[in-house]
Amino acid sequence: MPSVFVTGANRGLGLEFVRQYSADGWRVFAACRAPGSADALSAIAAETDGRTTLHAIDVSDRAAVQRLALTIDEPIDLLINNAGQMESWDEGFGRIDYAKWEDLLRTNLFGPAWVSHAFASHIAKSDRRLIAMMTSGLGSITDNRLGGRNPPGKLYLYRSSKAALNMLVSKLSFDLKARGIAVMAMGPGHVQTDMGGPTAKLMPPESITAVRKVLADRSLEHTGRYFFYTGEEYPW
Amino acid sequence: MPTILITGASRGIGLESARQYAADGWTVLACCRTPDTASELKAIGGVSVHALDVTDIAAVDGFARSVNQPIDVLMNNAGQNMRPPRGLGDMDYAAWSDLFAVNTLAPFKMIEAFQDHLRRSDRKIVLNVSSVMGSIADTSGGHVAYRSTKAALNMVTKVLAGDLAGDGIIVFSIHPGWVRTDMGGPSAAISPEQSAAGMKKVVESAGAGASGRFFDWDGHTIAW
Repeated sequence: MPSVFVTGANRGLGLEFVRQYSADGWRVFAACRAPGSADALSAIAAETDGRTTLHAIDVSDRAAVQRLALTIDEPIDLLINNAGQMESWDEGFGRIDYAKWEDLLRTNLFGPAWVSHAFASHIAKSDRRLIAMMTSGLGSITDNRLGGRNPPGKLYLYRSSKAALNMLVSKLSFDLKARGIAVMAMGPGHVQTDMGGPTAKLMPPESITAVRKVLADRSLEHTGRYFFYTGEEYPW
Repeated sequence: MPTILITGASRGIGLESARQYAADGWTVLACCRTPDTASELKAIGGVSVHALDVTDIAAVDGFARSVNQPIDVLMNNAGQNMRPPRGLGDMDYAAWSDLFAVNTLAPFKMIEAFQDHLRRSDRKIVLNVSSVMGSIADTSGGHVAYRSTKAALNMVTKVLAGDLAGDGIIVFSIHPGWVRTDMGGPSAAISPEQSAAGMKKVVESAGAGASGRFFDWDGHTIAW
């Protein structure tokens, strides 16, 4: 059975990834900051005869990420860097918290870099060798549809961190090509989660079913690229 | 006469831009970290030199309060590269974070702090000096830290353009070329004079349609 490592696994899209891969019989490493209080996640894991295991990870803590990697001695076919943060919509131009911006870059950019680097040898030993960075349509500089006066929040912190993450995807794809590891950016669409809000048009099961279908179809020839959950290639 | 505010004006492209705008009779506010050692900048007639570390948020606010005149053009030029460039295997993450502070957060803070000065001016132009290395579409490897800070700056440019369009403020990113400066090295393709003159032309011709775009120093569009 293939294996998948998911960060930010306790809720939203991460939880849905765990639910679906567990149901398909995959070996699932479900990582989040506080597994002890991740009740929904624990309930899924309890149904898997030990195939789905919970792991504590704070992706903004580099040393902790490296320590966790040392405790796992199995190949990882698919790494899903899903953990991420977003500022609130009212923190716009003129109301920017610069310390928060640096924190958000740490979680949304350095975190995926640390996890990818720490688990690269696990991925290199696997059959599929794929890293998916969960970015966002909001990370596309080209497709900036929320420009203008409404809505008022422009999410400068989140968007800039995802554009930077897209750059990481592009450059990391060079570094990892020789080891046969593909890296790509995935936009899950606008989904009803804590982050996406109640007005989003997609529900997590639809989004993640579609994302999994796209990922199942991707290999080294697609490395360094940016895909939407529909399978379309997205403009940077 | 219009006024330009230039950061990182003590050397390279910033210094040459200060020289060229001053020669054209503009009022030039030139910022650098240590004016004491900026002898070339201070030697230019008609330029007022200001001590400013653009990563010092409080200092930027203080400087903005001390400036009363409208600012026609804000040239966010101060920037850094990571030397030597590092890959993920030997990355200095503290240095990467510092690079974001200089290359991405500081230009944004300058625009926040000087938004009223820009609104009161005739031209209302912000140029964020970025780099073609910040183009994600550019498929060459290496320099991930520097590149990511410039891609993030380009995102800031694009979102600001929409945000500030109602005020008539024009914001664009510009690649200064590969220039013979301390950053570009001695074997680079063009001189600081060529780069500054080219960017000056882009500023002169920039209308509302330029906002939210990414130009080369000679006015060609670069892909994100």
